[in-house]
This record gives sequence, C-alpha cells and structure tokens, in this order.
Amino acid sequence: MTPGLMAVMRKEIRQVSRDRRMMPMLIIAPVMQLIIFGFAVDFEVEHLKTVTCDLDGTTESRELLRRMTADQSFLDIGPATDCLRPHEDIRSNRAEVAVVVPRGYATDLLSGHHVAIQILADGSNPLYGRFARESATAAIEAISAGVMRERLELARGLTQVERTIARPLPQVRVFYNPRMKSALFMVPGVAAMILLIVTTIVMAMNLARERELGTLEQVIVTPLRAWELILGKVLPFVIIGCFDVLLVLTVGAWVFDVPVRGSLLLLALGTLLYILSTVGLGLFLSVAAKTQQQAFLAAFSVMMPGILLSGVMTPIENMPRWLQPLTYLNPIRYYVEILRGILLKGASLSDLSFDFAALAVFGVVILIAAGLRFSKRVD
Amino acid sequence: MSDAIIQCRNLGRSFGDFHAVRDVSFEVPQGEIFGYLGANGAGKSTTIRILCGLLAPTTGTALVAGFDVAKDPEAVKRHIGYMSQKFSLYTDLTVAENLDFFGGAYGLSGRRLRDSIDKVIEEVGLQDHRRAMTSSLPGGRQQRVALANALLHDPRILFLDEPTAGVDPAARREFLSLVRRRVATGVTVFLTTHYLDEAEYCRRVGLMVAGHLAVLGTPAELKAAHAPGEIRILHGNSALLGAAVRPLPGVHAVQSLGGGIRVRVDATHLPAVLSAARNVAPSLQVEVAEPTLDDVFLAVVQGGLG
Repeated sequence: MTPGLMAVMRKEIRQVSRDRRMMPMLIIAPVMQLIIFGFAVDFEVEHLKTVTCDLDGTTESRELLRRMTADQSFLDIGPATDCLRPHEDIRSNRAEVAVVVPRGYATDLLSGHHVAIQILADGSNPLYGRFARESATAAIEAISAGVMRERLELARGLTQVERTIARPLPQVRVFYNPRMKSALFMVPGVAAMILLIVTTIVMAMNLARERELGTLEQVIVTPLRAWELILGKVLPFVIIGCFDVLLVLTVGAWVFDVPVRGSLLLLALGTLLYILSTVGLGLFLSVAAKTQQQAFLAAFSVMMPGILLSGVMTPIENMPRWLQPLTYLNPIRYYVEILRGILLKGASLSDLSFDFAALAVFGVVILIAAGLRFSKRVD
Repeated sequence: MSDAIIQCRNLGRSFGDFHAVRDVSFEVPQGEIFGYLGANGAGKSTTIRILCGLLAPTTGTALVAGFDVAKDPEAVKRHIGYMSQKFSLYTDLTVAENLDFFGGAYGLSGRRLRDSIDKVIEEVGLQDHRRAMTSSLPGGRQQRVALANALLHDPRILFLDEPTAGVDPAARREFLSLVRRRVATGVTVFLTTHYLDEAEYCRRVGLMVAGHLAVLGTPAELKAAHAPGEIRILHGNSALLGAAVRPLPGVHAVQSLGGGIRVRVDATHLPAVLSAARNVAPSLQVEVAEPTLDDVFLAVVQGGLG
C-alpha cells in the first residue's frame, strides 16, 4: 500500500459515496433487477388460453377435452368463434391454442380406427407450441391407455388383477433443481449479469469522465504511477461488487429459495476473480475511449453479446458449433458455471478448477492490457 | 551547459501535419518569472505540456530541473507544480480532500501530508474554506485552490498555463502577488498568458507566433527593440485623424480608440505628425503615453517577424 494507491482509493470512495445517483445504481438497481428477472423470466408455460371445437359432440369427445384442459397447461376459454377457421382466434390473440375434435372421433376410437385430433398453437412463441404438444400428448396417451385396457378386457375377458398393461415408464429424476423452477436457473445468471453491468459500466465511465473533465491531466502531471492509479480505481469497485453479490444472493435465497449448497469461501473467491475481470474490462474500455459516450457505447456493445454467449439465458450446447469456442473468451460463462455449481450442486474447487483458472487468467490479462494501454501522456 | 533550470533546444511538436511548436530554444534561470505570450493556438499550451512531461516532443530536447522531459518525464514531474488552463481539480471534493488526494499522488502521507496541506491552505488564505465543496467557490478562489495544489509538494518550478483567465482583476492581482511571494523563495515560474499587463510582472518575456518563438527579452528590451518611437494619444475624430496621420513618414502604428487615435512615431517626425493632426482637428488635445507590450505584440505580429 503506497501513499499514492491509498490516496486514489480514498478519493474514489469519497466521490462514489457523494454521488447521489451512484448509490441507487450500485445497491437498489441490482435488487430490483434480480426480482424482476427472477419473476418475469419463466420458461414454465402454464394456462395457455385454449379455444375448443367439439365437432363430434359425444361423451368421449367431451371427456377428451375435459382431460386436456384439466391439466395446468391449458386454460379452457370456451368454444372457438368459428370452427371452420379456429386459427382466427390465435391470429386475433384471443387464444394461444385451439383444439379441434373431428366428427366421428368417438366412433373411430371405439372401433379401433386411427384417430386424429387437431391442435393449433401459436408458434410466434416457440415455447407455446412445444408445451401444447407435450401436454396434449400426455392427455391423449392416458385416454388411449384406458381405451386399450377396456378393449383388451372385452376381447379376452381378463381378470381384475391382469387389467394393468405393462408399459415402460421412464422414471426421470431431476437433480439439483427437482421442481425445475426457472428462478433457480436464472438467479445465478442474473447475479452474474447484474455484476457485469454495474461494475463494467461504472468503471468504463470513470476514467473517461476524468479525461473529459480535465482532471486526468492534473493527475498524470503528478508522479503517481499508472498501476497505483488503476488499482486504486479498481479496488473500491471490487469491494462494492462483492457487496452486491452478497445482496443478490441474500435476496435470491429469501425470495426465490435459491440454496447455497457449496462453500461460501469458494463463492467469494470466484466472485473476486470475476469482478476483477469485469472491472478490468471496464477499465480497458475506459482507457481506450476518448469520451464518456464512447466508453458507454463500447461497454454496452461488449456486454450484450457477452451475456448472450454466456449460458445465462440459453445453454451453450444449443449454440451453433462455430459459435461455441467464442464462449471460452467470456468471463461471464465461467462465473455462471461457478455460481450454478456452488449454489445448486455444491461443487468443490476441483470440480470448478478450469473455470477458476480461466477467470483468473482473463482478469490478469485484461488489467495488464489496460495498464499497458494507459499512458501517462495526454496525446 | 548552463545552469538554467529550464533549457529548451530546437523543441518541436507536430500533430499530424500541424506543427504546433517548431524549433523553439530558450533558457530560464532559477528564480525568474518567465512569461510566455501569444495568441490562442500559437503553441503556448503545447510548449508547457512538453515541459511538464505530458506531451513527448517530436524534435529537440528539453531539460527541466536537470531531467530530460522525453526520457525521464516522471523525474520532471516530482519537481514541478502545474496549473492547467482549465480548472481541473475535483469539483465534487472539498478543498482539503483535493489537496489530500494530490498530496498522496506526490507521495506525501501521514503527518507530512497534513502539515503540507495546512501550510498551503494558509499560504493562499483559504483557512475558512477547507471544508467547502470546490464547486461552490467563485472563480478567483478556485484558482487559489489550484495554486495551493500546485505548491503542495514544494516544487522548484511552477508551470502556470493562463492561470487567471476569466478571473476578475482584483483576484488576478492577488493571485500574482501569491506567485511572487513564492518566487522570492527561489521558485521559478513559467507563466503563459494573453493578458499583456500580466506579462509586465515577468522578468523576461517570450512571444510565440504560429509555433515559433518570435522574440525573447525583458519587457524593456522588447519595447526598445520592437516598439521604438514616441507614443501619443490624439483626441478627436478617429477616422479623420487616422486618415491624416497614417500616410506620414516615421509613423509606425496607428490604433483607433474611442474618440481618438493612439499613434507610435519616430521622435524626429513627431512635430510633422502633430501639425498634420491639427490641420484636421484645430483644437487637438495631445496626451503622452508609454509603450506597452501590446505595441510590441502588434509590431511583431504585423511586421511578420514570426
């Protein structure tokens, strides 16, 4: 700790704590974002508004529709406006799904013929189509199993005991997030994202602002060394970032029941490495930019692809092959893996050693790059 | 080698095709107030930034406090105080907090830092404003904070880049007397200004024209060399008087004033000029005036010496 480094840190802390806009941005915004993301980003589809067209009008067709809409996936909002054009209800946003039971459904079902049911789903959101198909299939399978049982019973006169039909049933056990809540998947990702936004943007604006105001010139005319200036600016924001993580995890545990199954110490280490990377990135952009506006735009255009290529929103395995290697350059990717690993799976350091090492390398490299790019000249 | 504390030899700096400073050579001995004059864009700030180690020179060398500004700018920085053209302290910090930061940047800490802050705050008379937010101070006081800041680490040389721009005359005079008190203790001052009256405080003055150091000398030397002759102010209709006087032999310069003209003329031709003036203005009033650096400045710029 040199006098210069201490002086820079004292100054940064004074300025941040005095800036009335900064404190809400650093403390209130992360909590707000977590709550909004946690509730709004939900990949579970429920209560799809469903219109029905029962062209058969038999006990069997009514039973089918009843079973389907008894499921949480569909919300029966009544018959379609025009059964010849049920898709009109989807186009006009009245419904997301339309189910059409054709004339002769009951007869075909009971006589053992092929039975077709039409399900129209709003594909403008791919989730709707997928969930409509899965839920409808489940309902129809249950019905056809019942029908098959009755027919076998009739045909062979089986006894009560033999009435069950042997069907292989997959026994899927979901680990770490057994109820498959989106929030558990999202909260670690959102934590990484919030930290990125707060630390990178604030840092990117910092040095560019000093350059714009002219105070940077007064600073570089002193014998203060570049590393003292850079580290002195970075450290206070690392501390603020660590505080934000703690805040986000507390709120996550409280509101969304996000567990902390692994070591808190390991989590702190990962967070430290991550914040060093994001702050270093912000500083690098700040050194490269001439104005605050440039720094802000640069930070933004780096962050957006960074978030999309991190696995926060969608699994990296779903990305095209050629795009996947890019994610290895992305510190967010590693931190999300570390967070999900420690919080949900209770992963250990040896499980996550690659992610820790990658983050450390990124952080050190970007800080050195910022230090080299920063020269104590004004030209 | 001379023992001058600032030595420039063939100093030049270009930005692309633009030569902001070219082939400038001069020396400043210790304890002198050196004035650097010139119009905006003449290369004053560029020179001062090179000497402070903020800009690398493209040609030539400069030694400041014995260190080469191109090779060892950090050593130069330890021995100089710098006040830039624009107020460039933190307006969201108090006076004492600014000094605390910059003192730390100069490597001061603990008791030494506190003592230095107390000393400079007293020196510039801001004891009652230690805890004032810098943004709340009027321009003149802000300049004094900036001066205190530049003096904090007891520099041997003070670089002041138009320190009093936009400050009222009383505050300017006060500021300059603070600077001169430091000079009395052996500090050297390099001052750029475009207030020519301010340059009269300088022991020697250099005049920059379009990147060149056009002339250099004491104010008296410069006036004798570049603004010779007698100065008279003739009261009356400036258009009539100007037309009558301007074509006469021995007339160096004619300036229109409100309600008269200011004319610089060789002593031998003065009677002819005065009688020509009386022809167009029978009740002519004549006032004797002294040459100023303005006259030098106009003569040099118009005479194409640059």
